[in-house]
Amino acid sequence: MSAAPDSPSTGAATSPARTAIDELRRGFATSGYIASEAIATVVHLARALSKPVLVEGPPGVGKTELAKAAAIQFDKPLIRLQCYEGLDEARALYEWKYGKQLLYTQVLKEKLGDLMAGAEGLKESIARLHEFDDTFFNEEFLEPRPLLKALWAEHGAVLLIDEIDKSDQEFEAFLLELLADYQISIPEIGTVRAKHPPLVFLTSNNTREIGDALKRRCLHLYIPFPDSALEQRIIESRVPELEARVRSQLVAFVQALRGLDLKKVPAVSETIDWARTLVLLHANELDNQLVRQTLNVLLKFQDDIEAVDAEVPALTRAAVRG
Amino acid sequence: MTQVLSDFIKALRAADVRVSTAESIDAAATVEQVGFAERALLKTALAQVLAKSIDDKARFDDCFDRYFTSAELATVGGGATDADASAAADDAAAESMASAGGSGESGAEGELVALLERGDTAALQRLLGAAARNVQLQNIRLFTQRGMYMRRILEDMGIEAVDDLLHALVRADDDDPRAARLRELKAQLVENVAERVDREMLLYTANAGTRLREEVLQKTPLARIEMRDFKVMQELVRKLAKRLVSLHARRRRVARRGRLDVRHTIRRNIEYDGLLFDTVWKRVRVDRPKVIAVCDVSGSVAQVARFLLLFLYSVSEVIPKVRSFAFSNHLGEVTALFETRPVEDAISATLNDWGMGATDYGGALAELERLTLDDIDHRTTVLILGDARSNYSDPGDRALRRIHERARRVLWLNPEPRALWNSGDSEMRKLGACCDRVEPCRTLRHLERVISEIARTAI
Repeated sequence: MSAAPDSPSTGAATSPARTAIDELRRGFATSGYIASEAIATVVHLARALSKPVLVEGPPGVGKTELAKAAAIQFDKPLIRLQCYEGLDEARALYEWKYGKQLLYTQVLKEKLGDLMAGAEGLKESIARLHEFDDTFFNEEFLEPRPLLKALWAEHGAVLLIDEIDKSDQEFEAFLLELLADYQISIPEIGTVRAKHPPLVFLTSNNTREIGDALKRRCLHLYIPFPDSALEQRIIESRVPELEARVRSQLVAFVQALRGLDLKKVPAVSETIDWARTLVLLHANELDNQLVRQTLNVLLKFQDDIEAVDAEVPALTRAAVRG
Repeated sequence: MTQVLSDFIKALRAADVRVSTAESIDAAATVEQVGFAERALLKTALAQVLAKSIDDKARFDDCFDRYFTSAELATVGGGATDADASAAADDAAAESMASAGGSGESGAEGELVALLERGDTAALQRLLGAAARNVQLQNIRLFTQRGMYMRRILEDMGIEAVDDLLHALVRADDDDPRAARLRELKAQLVENVAERVDREMLLYTANAGTRLREEVLQKTPLARIEMRDFKVMQELVRKLAKRLVSLHARRRRVARRGRLDVRHTIRRNIEYDGLLFDTVWKRVRVDRPKVIAVCDVSGSVAQVARFLLLFLYSVSEVIPKVRSFAFSNHLGEVTALFETRPVEDAISATLNDWGMGATDYGGALAELERLTLDDIDHRTTVLILGDARSNYSDPGDRALRRIHERARRVLWLNPEPRALWNSGDSEMRKLGACCDRVEPCRTLRHLERVISEIARTAI
């Protein structure tokens, strides 16, 4: 290996990767997605090495949002495949348009009669039919599903395979060919190869362990809950109407809440919802009553709400004091 | 650069991060992208390519910090963004050193002397790195090899020339100030080399000791495991459990040949214009097993019970329904305890609450029958852990027989060695007759086998 001729060694601050990553972060920020250093790095690497990204993390930290933001950022269509138990090739990759095929055969029945005219015996008829073999199994009659759509996309695409952990292991294995080579084999047509490798994001909530084979083919990004500085920036970008003072109180409150032993700790999406709620209520400071009334935006289990209820005064006081 | 990276990957593997060849190639491509210059960026980027779970990431961070100490990275990066240049520099330094070593014979002062006296730390570091690579320090395995590797590195760096010079100086004048200074510098160098060797040894052999210990622990009778090993054991159980889960997580479906799935068959054969070429047969989903675990928690059996429960609850992904009971002189259900508290706490509480008193198998099994008989069906596995020593009272075999008739199977795990069964007050023969299988269960190995069996043979 030798140094690329167009990368002069000009010190740490302006290495090409660094510039690209900083640019990405700025780009994401303008479209309202506050990307951490790790997120920007993984997107840069995914494009540079053309590898899919497996995104893991607790629910509601913006895994799906990342794909959406990337689609906006690179001005590519977002193609989304939601996984669930029992998802199969027919729904993920392609299906034949049976109806259309049947209809065409009906309509063309007479034409077929004409074609067959003059053919003597079964053998010759079949030989003649063979000349039109692929008429009914070509791309005309193919109904592309998300994966095939992503491969066919003219100018590339962002493919989001959401909640891969919900799908069956068979489906996971089926994805391997797509993820490694950006191609897929369809028995009737052959191998379909992507013109422009799509940027692929897979998300997982870790309800089950993802197979090693899949992990090997992906870059791995873990998005944890954001720290308070980052969360403040996220709220600032998403809910700019909220006053700075309330914002910092709110973030401090949520951060403290995550330290408690709850069934489901509030995620970033819930913090945003809460911020919107407070804007609607014209709140300019957190107080006990306000928190108690709106706690159901933040916590989704009655057990959790009851458990936190007693702690509200202490938490609020701490948050207000900063 | 590739050497640095492949050594790092070696260190990662030693730290139990699984890195495949494909991933090392990706790592090389990543390094080409981001370079060695910016440490934080390199760390983030490599972590995304090489460490693919949260545990792995923690281990990666630790390993990265130890491998790329800031000094190391400075020499690797050489201040330039391009890492290859520095690798080349390393080689050049090594080469010049080799020639210096050769010329040392002829009386000229080696380059090492010059470097030492000039105090050129960066060049020394680079030389040290090259020497470490030349003697293949990354192959160090044992503590006892330290001295040998240190000597080899020093020789490779050309320590001989320094020694020769020292001799010559001392012979000429006993307290030559230059000799004293040189001696000091040499001592420092030796210390540096020792430090380097220690660090690498830690990197490449960090886990060898742990692995050996884990292997031994797996074969040690659970009753004899000492308090200080508990932490390791719990970690080990978790590891084994994880393996079992990934082995059995796949819900298998069994095709029931002979019953046509009409709906699916028609759907699949549309492409043949409704002619039924391709038949689909009804499939049955394999049910998750239901387990009722009954543990004797008195005396020596308690230890084994602790690990059995820990194991059972660690594989909750494949065996989600576990009802657990504990007994010594009375029997009680502890399932709720495990649902509300962390497993370790629940186990200690169980042992505390139920561990007192002499075992009464007759009473316990009768109570078990009363509590669970309605819940036992053809999917239930009843798992009994105990030494079957009933203190010469009723062994409770009649109650167990009634349970056996209802349950899918009854497994008895006995922590005593087979030779002791049926001796004294052990009622293994009577009780064993009411079970599908009786297994000795003394070590973690045994436990793993039993749990794996339960997870595998559902339905």
